[in-house]
Amino acid sequence: MALLEVEGLSVAFGGLAALSGVSLAVSAGTVYAIIGPNGAGKTTLLNAVAGYVRPASGRIRIDGRDTTDLAPHAIARQGLRRTFQNGGVWGEMTVLENILVGVDHDAQSGLLGILFGFGRDRRTERRAVAEARAILARAGLAGIEDKRVRDLSFGQQRVIEISRALVSRPRILLLDEPAVGLSESEREELGARLRALAQEGTAVILVEHVVDLVMAVSDRVLVLNSGQVLAEGTPEEVRGDAAVVEAYLGSA
Amino acid sequence: MFAQLVVSGIGQGSIYALVALGMTILFRVTTVVNFAHGELFMAGAFLIYALLNALGVPYAAAALAALLFLFLFGNAVERLLMRPLANAPHLSLAMMTVALSYLLRGGVRFLWGGNVRSLPPMFSFAPIEVGPVVIDAQDAVIIASTAALLVLFFALMRYSRFGKEAQAVTDSTRGAALVGINVAAFQRTMWGVAAMVAAVASILVAPETMLYPDMGARVLLRAFAAMTLGGFGSLGGAVAGGILMGIIEQLAGGYVSTAMIDIASYIVIIAVLLLRPSGLFGRAEVVRV
Amino acid sequence: MSRGGAAAVAALLILLVLPPFFVDDYVQFILDLILVYVMVSFGFNIVLGYAGQLAFANAAFFGLGAYTLAICLGRLDWPFPAALFAAAVVGGAAGLLVSLPALRLRAYYLAIITLAFGELLRWTYVHASGLTRGSSGLGVPAISIFGIPVASDRARYWLFLALAGLTLWGSANLLRSRFGRALVAVRGNEAAAAAMGLAPAVVKIGAFAWSGVVVAIGGAMYALLLGRISPESFGLSQLLLHFSIVMIGGLGSLVGSVLGAVILTAAPELLRDIPGLEEIIFSLLLIGVLLFMPKGVAGLLGRLALFRERLYLT
Repeated sequence: MALLEVEGLSVAFGGLAALSGVSLAVSAGTVYAIIGPNGAGKTTLLNAVAGYVRPASGRIRIDGRDTTDLAPHAIARQGLRRTFQNGGVWGEMTVLENILVGVDHDAQSGLLGILFGFGRDRRTERRAVAEARAILARAGLAGIEDKRVRDLSFGQQRVIEISRALVSRPRILLLDEPAVGLSESEREELGARLRALAQEGTAVILVEHVVDLVMAVSDRVLVLNSGQVLAEGTPEEVRGDAAVVEAYLGSA
Repeated sequence: MFAQLVVSGIGQGSIYALVALGMTILFRVTTVVNFAHGELFMAGAFLIYALLNALGVPYAAAALAALLFLFLFGNAVERLLMRPLANAPHLSLAMMTVALSYLLRGGVRFLWGGNVRSLPPMFSFAPIEVGPVVIDAQDAVIIASTAALLVLFFALMRYSRFGKEAQAVTDSTRGAALVGINVAAFQRTMWGVAAMVAAVASILVAPETMLYPDMGARVLLRAFAAMTLGGFGSLGGAVAGGILMGIIEQLAGGYVSTAMIDIASYIVIIAVLLLRPSGLFGRAEVVRV
Repeated sequence: MSRGGAAAVAALLILLVLPPFFVDDYVQFILDLILVYVMVSFGFNIVLGYAGQLAFANAAFFGLGAYTLAICLGRLDWPFPAALFAAAVVGGAAGLLVSLPALRLRAYYLAIITLAFGELLRWTYVHASGLTRGSSGLGVPAISIFGIPVASDRARYWLFLALAGLTLWGSANLLRSRFGRALVAVRGNEAAAAAMGLAPAVVKIGAFAWSGVVVAIGGAMYALLLGRISPESFGLSQLLLHFSIVMIGGLGSLVGSVLGAVILTAAPELLRDIPGLEEIIFSLLLIGVLLFMPKGVAGLLGRLALFRERLYLT
């Protein structure tokens, strides 16, 4: 059974259909790309899956559990993480604090413990900081952990956002145009990282404009156009699809 | 008694409608909720009081002066206090209007003290009797003036270039800038216009009500109740909500207890926001986070 | 904490404990009042600075704390610790109550509903005269703690110091914990916070409830200090003072809250004798801070690098 299933999803904004009847299924351990021209409904699809947009009809299931009507944070607790097109880092926090918010999620401590610093909660806090530092070290961000995020480059912010999303080892990772603003080498690094994630069993869903990246890393590709599915298949199948070439790849 | 209370309610409600309308105009083009709007209304009333009492000018001249002064004052507020915060968080803009409200209240208290003052009635003709209902002369003037002003205002919004520009800025400031509207200048003008609408309310109530420094805060909450009832940001809703609020207040005072007059608006605000936040006439708005 | 840090805290504590031995009654009163307003502004700062929510309920929490204490002590004859606990619980409950609309409504609705809430309470103090003695004011009896009377001004100061110290220490820990991070995350980007599994609603409710607790304890202290409370103490001018302390001290800064309370409480009594003058001065200060010093006095000190506070807000 697929880890994420979307069935007949439609979304409308003020009477205008943004998505109509979109279905897809993503298995654990695969990279699934969503491409399409501007305004095709790619980000809307991500937002609907993550709970930020309420669909007019259709169902969304994660590991067989219906999440269509859940709030974003409740969906996130099902093991789903996402990044944002315009960046979702907290600029006024330090790099370490950004990561800590992800780590905190697993902490168990009582109010009184937090208020008056009982031993167990002190230890919890110390453990969280140690874990966050380890995560930063693995992501190659060890030197900048106490810098404010808004003082960093766009590329670094992107890396931080993705690292933060990975803290609690999500089962499903949604990435909204992660390659925007990255250099050629950074893109290759990103591609390798996504493949490695899929290897570990994560279902990676990627909305992306950069066609080369998509074709290189994806197991399957969904092409959206005007809110509808134009084609779906392996990168080779999609590349050979006449309608896709006509609508999208041909003009690119 | 019911009809009598409704008529008084419409008179009172006209004032709430005018104050709420001024706030809504400003809110639509600047997205600022002006917590000083009640104090603009209060300051206008005291200005008229000062002109009449100290200088002995005729009422019409005092009224004109109040309109002009508040228009200029609104412009100055935008230029000196709000514009520098254009890039600040929204909280700062709201805080600035809060600070302004206290400044105006303090200023009036400083100049005139905390005592309640009043002006002689402006109109001395006999009350109008319609069947069992007696319409007070001042109420009649308020209702008629408000109605005339509203017709004029909505005609202006719908048919004039100014109204179309206002709509454009409301829909999207960036879009309005693209079609050649100087958004900053337009917002400044709207601060002036909103303050002037407050002055209209001052002119209408000054001869009838007690003047005291805290009268603005009192009206502000009623205007909020009006806007909440009518749906926040809706011009027609602000007017309808204001009049409805006036009627609710009078009915609560008449049938329950006069102490209820003071809290009817608070209860309306809390009840509407909890039960039907889009207002009585608005469509449900889903905020989902 | 390093050895130097511990020594500094010990020195500070001694400094804070000593004043009653050296000052006259009037200065003692002002010092007590400063402690009250440190509590008030700190509690307000949690909502305004850390959660970034515009709410006007602070004077209401303050009044609820004061009235709850006075009623529990004077009417119900409860012992002081129980009355204080009741004040804190009522404040927390009120915080929770007013935050409920914050969950699904737009930001300015919260401001409006809390403004209405505060005025509604003030009306209740006036009209529920069976409980509050209405406009004539409610007296607060002398207290004792576990049989030890708090009879002197000195004893009261130490009691206040202990209350403020414990509450602020706890709150500082709270804001440095994952809860504080969650608050700043929700304020900074609610969508991103939700994407990390944080429930923005729960985080905001928590902030309001804790704010209510802290401010209500401040209100209870205020009632003890004045010995008599009346409805007009909890209106819009009280609210202006709270706003001014927080903004002038520094939004989102603990140290700022303390500084703001010291600066504005010590402001000369003279201001209160001339009608309107206090409003004029405070609002001009507020405008000046908004225009020229958005981070308040704490921000100014931070820029001079005289001290560093670990803020999640700059």
